[in-house]
Amino acid sequence: MEHTTGFVLPNSGHNRDDESSRMGMWLFLFTELLLFGGLFIVYMVYRMLNHEAFLLSSFELNVTMGTVNTVVLLVSSMTVAMSITAVQRGNNALSAKLLAITLGLSLVFLVIKYFEWSAKIHHGLFPGMDLYKALPKGESLFFFLYFIMTGLHALHIIIGAVLMGVTIYRTKKGLINSDNYTLTENTGLYWHLVDLIWIYLFPLFYLIH
Amino acid sequence: MENHKENTSHPKVHISSFRDHWSTLATLLLLTAVTVVISVFGANLAALSVATALLIATVKVMVVAYYFMHLKYEKKIYTYLLLLVVLLFLAFTILTAIEYYNR
Repeated sequence: MEHTTGFVLPNSGHNRDDESSRMGMWLFLFTELLLFGGLFIVYMVYRMLNHEAFLLSSFELNVTMGTVNTVVLLVSSMTVAMSITAVQRGNNALSAKLLAITLGLSLVFLVIKYFEWSAKIHHGLFPGMDLYKALPKGESLFFFLYFIMTGLHALHIIIGAVLMGVTIYRTKKGLINSDNYTLTENTGLYWHLVDLIWIYLFPLFYLIH
Repeated sequence: MENHKENTSHPKVHISSFRDHWSTLATLLLLTAVTVVISVFGANLAALSVATALLIATVKVMVVAYYFMHLKYEKKIYTYLLLLVVLLFLAFTILTAIEYYNR
């Protein structure tokens, strides 16, 4: 680092700010909360207007699959939190392994979701299909919201899975270590948000009978 | 050149133990079980009301945020910002509902 010019950037030598990175992730998560919050308001309002129809339709959803997926997400939330503990303790191999388990669980979630959606689509309940169009207004709306909200959530799962893949790659390469693990933390935070959203989606769609 | 101090952003980080993570998971699974059991087998009890379900879900969310997302060990500003977002959302939602049902 030459000082001959008489001018040195205040932080020359490193251009990382872990605290700000994490704050940035949290601010992004707040916008995500408001995005889903908007959807929850739509759900709430139409549920109030179509109380019986929503009640009736919710029995069509598979509680077992919903419960299994809830457990899958909760366990994956733990494994991603553990991977941060591992990397903080300097155990990169274990951290990568725990992230890989999390990635695996995200795929399990998607496969179960795929079977759930397929069953509904097979019955013709996807918006625009025959049974869907034959349903009374309130009931078709329930399935419309079901597909929109679980669909947007599944999209978040996919993004989280990709993020997880990148984090595993960088951990294995040694680019992430006990001194520099903000990516692992931010991936974790994002993954927990995906879990948080599901914690509300699950009872609202599957359980409230 | 003291600017080369490596990592100043984790001055004193709290490292949660694996044991802590297991207990957090156990709590979350227990709460999930409670919700599902009430909903599926609670036919003779009062069925799971929206309020109960949302209450249990909110407790779960707080557990996830507090322990898994490390809010407990972060600077207080994160908690305050989160509360601000949640309160804004709730104020808008609840005030609108009250306004509508009191007409």
